[in-house]
Amino acid sequence: MSVKTLPEAPAVTDPPRRRFTPRGVPHAGLIAVLAVVVVFTAVRSDTFATDRNILNILGQISVNAVLAAGLTLLMTAGGMDFSMGSNVAVTAAVAARLIAHGHATPYAVVVALLLGTAIGLVNGLVVTFTNVAPFVVTLASATLLDGVALLVHDGNTLSVGQHLFTFGNDKVLGVPYLLVVAVLVLLATGLAMRFTVFGRDAFAIGGNEHVARLSGIDVTARKLTLYGLTGLLSGLAGVMLLARLGSSSPGSTAGLSLQLAVVAAVVIGGTSLAGGHGTVIGTALGLVLLGVVANALNLLDFSSNYQPVSVGAVLLVAAVANEMHKARSARR
Amino acid sequence: MTPVVRVRAVTKSFGGAAALKGVDLDLYPGEIHALMGMNGAGKSTLVQILSGVHQADGGTIEVDGQAQHGLTVRRARRLGIASVPQRRELAMGLTVAENVLLGDLPTRGRTVHWKTVREEARRALSSLGIDIDVERTAGSLTVAEQTIVEVAREVRRGGRILILDEPTACLSARDANRVRALVRTLRDEGVAVVYISHYIDEVMAVADRLTVLRDGTVVRTAPAADLDPAALVRAMTGRDVVSRRAERPTPKDEIGLSVRGLCDGRAVRDFSVEVRKGEIVAVLGPAGDAQSRLFDLLSGRRRPESGELRVDGTPVPFGRIPASLAGGLRCVTGDRRTLGLIPGLSVDENLMLAGDRFTRRRLHRARDLARRAAPLRHTYGVVSLAGNPPVGALSGGNQQKVLLAKWLQTEPVACFLEDPTNGVDIAAMADIHALVDDLAARGTAVLLASSSAEEVVRLADRVLVVSAGRTVAEHAVTDITRDELVATALGGQPQ
Repeated sequence: MSVKTLPEAPAVTDPPRRRFTPRGVPHAGLIAVLAVVVVFTAVRSDTFATDRNILNILGQISVNAVLAAGLTLLMTAGGMDFSMGSNVAVTAAVAARLIAHGHATPYAVVVALLLGTAIGLVNGLVVTFTNVAPFVVTLASATLLDGVALLVHDGNTLSVGQHLFTFGNDKVLGVPYLLVVAVLVLLATGLAMRFTVFGRDAFAIGGNEHVARLSGIDVTARKLTLYGLTGLLSGLAGVMLLARLGSSSPGSTAGLSLQLAVVAAVVIGGTSLAGGHGTVIGTALGLVLLGVVANALNLLDFSSNYQPVSVGAVLLVAAVANEMHKARSARR
Repeated sequence: MTPVVRVRAVTKSFGGAAALKGVDLDLYPGEIHALMGMNGAGKSTLVQILSGVHQADGGTIEVDGQAQHGLTVRRARRLGIASVPQRRELAMGLTVAENVLLGDLPTRGRTVHWKTVREEARRALSSLGIDIDVERTAGSLTVAEQTIVEVAREVRRGGRILILDEPTACLSARDANRVRALVRTLRDEGVAVVYISHYIDEVMAVADRLTVLRDGTVVRTAPAADLDPAALVRAMTGRDVVSRRAERPTPKDEIGLSVRGLCDGRAVRDFSVEVRKGEIVAVLGPAGDAQSRLFDLLSGRRRPESGELRVDGTPVPFGRIPASLAGGLRCVTGDRRTLGLIPGLSVDENLMLAGDRFTRRRLHRARDLARRAAPLRHTYGVVSLAGNPPVGALSGGNQQKVLLAKWLQTEPVACFLEDPTNGVDIAAMADIHALVDDLAARGTAVLLASSSAEEVVRLADRVLVVSAGRTVAEHAVTDITRDELVATALGGQPQ
């Protein structure tokens, strides 16, 4: 049987082709901004364009990258996890405490990963089985976990000495271990989003949850998996942070401030807060942009107080640019 | 009399594809001017140019004899051109009064003067003969009332050229009559009304003049009295659309789908139906009646109070989507926007969304997907301009075909179709009817929920008429004429 609307219309259309017009390049605006910042800083500072400095930048964003990868996938599926940074604080503190109390390092790492996953699953359970918005649920758990981290520290800085030092500071073929882990996680997430049905389910759920459910996708299981995954990656990031710093201190760099930097990177990368759209490449560009800006401020001798100012400004500019790009492509 | 709007030789193309190829249109005050045409004929583009959303590539637009270049939304509004889109644009949490006066709330000092708000809103509504309590919230109104409030708001703002895009789509006969009465009042007040509708009978009843568009050109402009429905269809399609009852093999004796004693509140009361394999049974009722609840109940989105469902003789539990799907029942929604398709995903992904999940695929490759989707596009006649665009970019008819293909390719035992030709043009409607015929001919039990008597007469073997939640009649379709059917359902179709 064959049905055609119009006799002359082709029933089967041309195979999909990508057009690489200047406007069609994905993330063109983001790449342009990044290029401007890089060129500007490289001209003003001799140290910027050295191997050492570039590795330094990438090393600093490794922890954020692991978190941002998970968040990209979750936000594409229409979810939100505001507690990843606080999850990092708790898992890092727990791992540090275990090691400081003489437990074996692998044991502490496994506990950290399991703890992170468990926290993520709890978030997932609350989100899927109540109708509370994920933003609210995870904001609550973020605050709660920040407090738990303080309790675990009990006012002391927990040092892990030389344990985990290799993982945090050594290099393989000139590339830091942490960066290798971050790139692997980003790559795996990107491939999963593009080439697995699991990843496409995330797009479907974020695009229209009702339709996804009616099409036979087990939305509840998928969401639990996604929240579990962001939890697991938070645990991993906790171990990475601990390895890099060698200690975990109360009120450290983790917590909500880390979370905000991660959300900023993902949003700068063009992932939709409403779900249904997101790319890991965009997230990676967002991470690099934030890392480069922070580094540039440092090299150009700005006070570190300008750091949050710059993150906020970059986020605002990128969000506006994304919206304008979306409006323009919708009109065409 | 001079036209209030005079459009001459307007052209517009989008990325090389010509949407309008030199269109002329005259609108006079105090007339209802129907704009007819199939999906993609250029109606929306023309309307968007009039209301300033798009700018014409060539040609002229004169309002009150003054040429308007570079018409923007704001300029158009100042000139009194107002448009009421298909989707309601009211602030649902605010009251009717606030919505009517939105952006122009009367104040005393710097605070809103609520008494004046209510009085002004009441005056605006009653001057158009509308009886709606202005203190209700917009969200609590029926769709028809929302349309009416929106029209009243535009008129109060000084709209004298009013564009209505399918104002009666998805309305029951009584509600549609209310909207049409309002439109006639507007005409008598001297407003020029541009009326877009798919319902031919409705257009013949309400319009003073008609303009028929096809492929971006005006095929015909004439007083409505000079045209009959058959001529109108010919003008729209360029051919006589053949959508007559097709011969199908006699249904088998096995029962494919049986529903017994289905109850859900006041909407569905003790509904029972048995559909044999290869048979099409229609449930006809006024829009919003029992038949429009069946999708939620049968698909498993909502658990009924009581009832029993059997597919191919096997009991299927209610209230669980996976159970419904596993039982071999496929439910195709009539609301493709919110329950049918994912607009941001590509045509191919939408086509294979359910099928790939049933076969438990793990990997996803675009080229592989395109290869599997190609025969579906061909069989179901899905036409897209460029490759594999997001499904949201397709015309309504094509979206509907994607939706049908998505579900019917999975070779269901039983199939529930809800308004399968909702908001599609006549040619696409004929195609979809042929697809449904073919589905039944392959031995699927088809339950069809519809609010269109024509569609029921065209497709069904038997028809159940529901009203106020109850089954009021059952007929073999050959025993009853369309008019009798409409009479039984009491105004199932806007007329």
